[in-house]
Order: sequence, then C-alpha cells, then structure tokens
Amino acid sequence: MKRIWILIACLTGIAAGGAAAAEREPFDDRYCTTCHGTDGRGNEGVQAPRLAGMEPWYLKRQLENYRDGIRGAHPDDIEGLAMQPMAARLTDESIQDIIEWVGGWKYVPAEHTISGNIEAGRELYQPCATCHGVDAEGNEALGAPALAGQNDWYMVTQLRNFLAGYRGVHPQDVYGAQMRVMTAGLSDENDINNVVAYINSMSD
Amino acid sequence: MSRPVNRREFLNLLAAAGGAGAAIQAGTALGLLPASAGASTLDLTAGNGRSAVILGGGLSGLTVAYELGKAGWDCTILEASHRCGGRIFTVRHGTLIDEIGNRQYCEFDDEPHLYFNAGAARIPSTHRTVLDYCRELDVELEVFINENKTCWVQDDAMLGGKPVRNVEYTTHMRGFMAELMAKAMNETEMDAPFTDQEAETLLGMIRRFGDLGEDDVYRGSFNAGYASGGFIEHGVQKDLIAFRDLLKTRLGANLMRANEGETGPVLLQARGGMDRITDGFLRKVGDRVSYRAMVASIQVRDDGVEVTYDQDGARRQIRADYCFNCIPSHLVTGFEHNFPEDYVRALKYIRRGEAYKAAFQAKERFWEKQDIYGGITWMNNPSRQIWYPVAGIHKQKGVILGGYDFGGGMYHTRMTQEQRIEAHLADGEKVHPGYRGLVEKPVTVAWHRMNHMLGCAGFWTRILDGAWSTENETMYRRLQAPLNGRHYMIGDQISKHAAWMESTLQSARWAMNDLDRRLRNAPA
Repeated sequence: MKRIWILIACLTGIAAGGAAAAEREPFDDRYCTTCHGTDGRGNEGVQAPRLAGMEPWYLKRQLENYRDGIRGAHPDDIEGLAMQPMAARLTDESIQDIIEWVGGWKYVPAEHTISGNIEAGRELYQPCATCHGVDAEGNEALGAPALAGQNDWYMVTQLRNFLAGYRGVHPQDVYGAQMRVMTAGLSDENDINNVVAYINSMSD
Repeated sequence: MSRPVNRREFLNLLAAAGGAGAAIQAGTALGLLPASAGASTLDLTAGNGRSAVILGGGLSGLTVAYELGKAGWDCTILEASHRCGGRIFTVRHGTLIDEIGNRQYCEFDDEPHLYFNAGAARIPSTHRTVLDYCRELDVELEVFINENKTCWVQDDAMLGGKPVRNVEYTTHMRGFMAELMAKAMNETEMDAPFTDQEAETLLGMIRRFGDLGEDDVYRGSFNAGYASGGFIEHGVQKDLIAFRDLLKTRLGANLMRANEGETGPVLLQARGGMDRITDGFLRKVGDRVSYRAMVASIQVRDDGVEVTYDQDGARRQIRADYCFNCIPSHLVTGFEHNFPEDYVRALKYIRRGEAYKAAFQAKERFWEKQDIYGGITWMNNPSRQIWYPVAGIHKQKGVILGGYDFGGGMYHTRMTQEQRIEAHLADGEKVHPGYRGLVEKPVTVAWHRMNHMLGCAGFWTRILDGAWSTENETMYRRLQAPLNGRHYMIGDQISKHAAWMESTLQSARWAMNDLDRRLRNAPA
C-alpha cells in the first residue's frame, strides 16, 4: 500500500512538473561565471574572485557558510552581501555540482593589480606561512586555502574585512575566527598591501 | 534705427554668439535645416560579404544587426540568456525573472493587459530615434500617463501620514508660492527693470498661477478639487492645508517639478508591453540570434575579431570582421581578452546601476474607484512610487508598480523576496488601506542581481547627476572609439544619458556611422 502511494505521488509529481516545464524556461544553479568570469578566473568589474584552482574542500565550506549565513551576513561586508543570496538557495546537491564544475576549470594565476613593498611583506607573511604554507600553496589539514595566484584585490578586501570584524565574527566560523586573530598583526593598509604584494611575488 | 534681420543673418548671428550648436537647433525650428537623421537614413557602405559578431541581444545589439543586415552584412548575435531585449523587460504570465539567488516565475493571470515593464517603461515624444524605429518596425504605441494629479502624496511626516491628492498638494503649494512672489513683486516693483505694463502682466500671471485673491492672499482654490458638489449643486471648496504642513514633506521638490525634463514631453509606451519593441526587431533579425551563448573570450586582431563562447556545454568559436559589444562593461572585464590596459581601465570605470522595481497584480482596480487612471503616487518611504496602469482601464484586474527605487535600490535588493514584498505591502498600505488584501502575485526585479546583467543603467560620474570630469570624458571617449578599428562598445553605457532607449539606439548608430566613415576613408 505504501509503495502504491509513493508511486502515485511520483506520477502526479512528474505530470505537474511536465506541465510546468512545457511553458517555463529551464534553469540550473550554474550561475557562477556571470560574476566570476570566464572559467571562474575572477572579475574585478564586479569584485568576484578567482574560483578556478580553488580547493574543493575550501569552496564547499565557503558555499555552505554563505548559504547558512555564517559568511556574508555583516552589513558592512559589501562583497559578501552580494554573494550570500546567490548561495542561499543552493542544495547540497547543487553545491556538489558546482564544485565538480569549478574543478574542470584550468588554474591560471590572476593578474597583479596592486603594488607594495615585497620585502616588508615577506616579514609580515611569516605567521601566515604556518597555515597557508611557505609558498602560499595552502594546507587542507589546517583548513587554509592556497593564496598564490588569487586576485590581489580580493585578498586586500578580505584582510580588511577580517581586521574590521566584517568576516570571521560568526560563532560558527571557526577558521574565520583564527584569521581574525592572525590579521591582528597587520596594523594598516600599507601592511595589507605589502603582504599581498609578497603573495603576488610567489606566483610570478 | 536698425533694420530687421532676415533669417539667414539671424542664423549667422546665433552661430557667432552661441556656437554652431545653437544655430543648428534654431535652424531646425525655422525649418531651414533637415531634422536629425531618422531611423531609415543611416548610410552604410554595402556589406560586400562583411561580417559582424554582436555580443548581447540588448536593444543596441539588435539595432546593429538590423541596420547592418539591411546593408547586406552577415551578422550573428550571441545572447547569454534565454531572451533578447536586455533591460527592455516586460514581465507577464510565466515570465522567468532570472535573479541570481532569487529566481521567480511571474504568476500574473494570462491576459494581455496584465504585464509589468520592469525596465524601460516610458518613451518621451522627443526621443525621435526610438519613435522612428517603432514606426519602421510596426510597433503600436499608446500614450503613457506619468503625472496624474488625482494620484496620492504620502509622507509620515505630513498631516500624521494621511495621504493627500497630488492636486491638493500642488495647488496649495502654488498658491502659497504665488503669494510670496506677489508680495515680493509689490515690494520691489519700483526697482524692478519692468515697465508698468510688464509688471502688470507678470503680476496677473502670478495671481492666476496661484489662484490668489484680489488682495494677493491665497485662501484655497477650486483647482484643488471639490469637497462636494460642483455639477448640479455649487461646488464646496476643500479645506486648505496649511503652508507649514505642506513643507513637512520633501516630496514637494519632486511634485513641483513633475512634467519637467525627460518626463515633460508627452510620454508613450508600446501597447501590450515595452518588449513589443524587442519583438519588432526580432521579426527582422530573430534568425541571427544564438541564445544561451555566453562569451568566454574576445580577441581583437588586425583583420577581425575572434569570439569564443560557451553554449550547450561546448566551447565554440566565431570569427567576424567587426564586433559590436553591448554586454555590460563590468561583465566584459571578466572575459578572457587581449584589450590594452587603458581600455580595461575604462571598462572598469563605469559604475553598476542599482535600480529596482516591484509589481503586484491587483485583484480589482481599486484606484479607478478613486478617480485614478494611470499616473504615479509619490511616497516618502523606500518603495517611493506606485504606478497605476493605462492598460486595461475598467477591466477587473490590473498590474501596478508597487515600488521603484530609481536612485539607489540596494535597500530592497539586499532583502529576501519575502522581506521585499512585506516592505512594499506595508508602504502601500499607508496610501491604500486594505492594500494587502487587494494585491497578489508579487514580482521584484533587482537589476543589480539579474543574471547576465548584474546592474541597471551604468553611470560614469562619481556623483549622481554630477558634472563630467576630464577623467570621465577621457574614459568615455576611449570606450566609444573602436578598439583597433574592430571592436565597438555600444549601448546606453556608452552614452551621456544612460537608462533611456534613445541613448542606446543613438550609441549603436554612432558606432555604425563611425565604422561607415572609416570604411569609406580606407584606402581601396
């Protein structure tokens, strides 16, 4: 009896879906490249960072954080606020689909747009290397993504956000909280530019 | 004793005094010079097998395909979304509103008059290029009502939030302003550079403007409407609203300048929805459009342009002699390209527009019972305006605009769909008690998040409506000029008056004329 009910539910579901599909535009959740550019290589025009080459575990965590309001909820996190609703309706399946899609994109280091004192940046980077690696290659075990090759303007924005408490303040954002602690050593915009300039130098 | 100047001398004088521009305008008025080029007069050299790839099926892209097609060119339009028209977007039964993160399907009843122009919605009668194309493409037009004096004005700060009719507000405000002007006239008349005759004429005008009494005092006017009567019985004047109360709202600045500038001329709309204009172009060039074709790369070469795009899960390539690109500049920067640095800098310079609109289907046309037929209600709340439809007068239902943030827009954009709807219902309730029960089937269009657009009309100046800096001008000219003589950026983004279809069309025509001139001047 139970099985029959399920069968009926499936049939009516399909029939209703079929009727709607006949007159409605189809869609999927593969929206990423509208903002993040060709093959997810980042687009400064809309402040959307490079996704190509991003580690699947990091991408998954961030999409889930956005979806669950752990990231991109602070009223002053302008870029995060733009991203958050894009992820709000993603299901676990569509997140998995996006990760597989992004995984197919070729990694190309982002072009450099900012300048700073690389030597000063090298000093500032030493604590970062503990988690992100001496070559900024990332470390999955520590939950730290690669930084080399990422859009420099994006890293500047995120460091500012951590410093200002726009990111990493949600109680469930464990890794974000760590970043808040680590960025406390950056005293001003100059420091931020210098450390990012050093990270840039690693993908030259 | 000077002799009268003839028309030719008059024109010469004007040219000397005001530059050639003044002379050209006056000359048109005097009927000496031809009016600006109409839609059919674009002169392009014959195609001779030349090809163009057009990026984006917005209005400017369609115009290029249409005009170049007429001249024998081989054109292909690559459109990233499922539809053409860009920000000419009419929402009706079943329409997909492809906002990233907030996809909606419009549930309005399936009737011709139940539509909502979520983008372009008004055509001023002075926008000749748009009107000429509508004529050429058999797009039926009707009058659009923008200002309607029976619509409402509502501000929580004025009269305890009680809405008043636009006509009451503006009549009384004119009365009080006229009283001030009349008093100023009387006091300064001795020193004024007027003759007695002129002063009398001016004072007469001021008195009529404000409906002043003989003592130049404003005590109310029948122009504000009758409290009762007016036909079989004598009309009873409505109570005067105190000057001080009218000054409680800043909306007066909008109300007193309504019907000025762009919304001054008679306004028109396409009957059945503004996308009838898109349809008009598609009747001519629909077979040239490739949908769901998302540009991945633009490579500008010496002998043409190569465009790579993604479609049906495959990466494809097309090569053409020329490229016309109406994709929003902030998306173009995300493609692979071989543009020079200064060109990219100019692309990044244009700011993304944030305009936002929302609409409801009304179960009954409750506004018509309040003598409102078309027009705009002004509210001093984030929803800002309610627009009443011209389409479907006296039918059962209608579609009303329930919110339009034409300046900012991020206030509503950052809300969830449920929050947006609640905000418009709460705002509308202040003007129309029972609004919540009267409207249904909401749609919202946050242009900043629409897929493949991510912005409304772009703006060049850093201050809204601010003057153009030298930097603005340099960047603008860089993008307007063709890259390597092969790649033209077009659309209202390459105009000094974004957000109007006229700018879009003129941008497309500027680019085609420029190319035409280059081809004619090129060595054989």
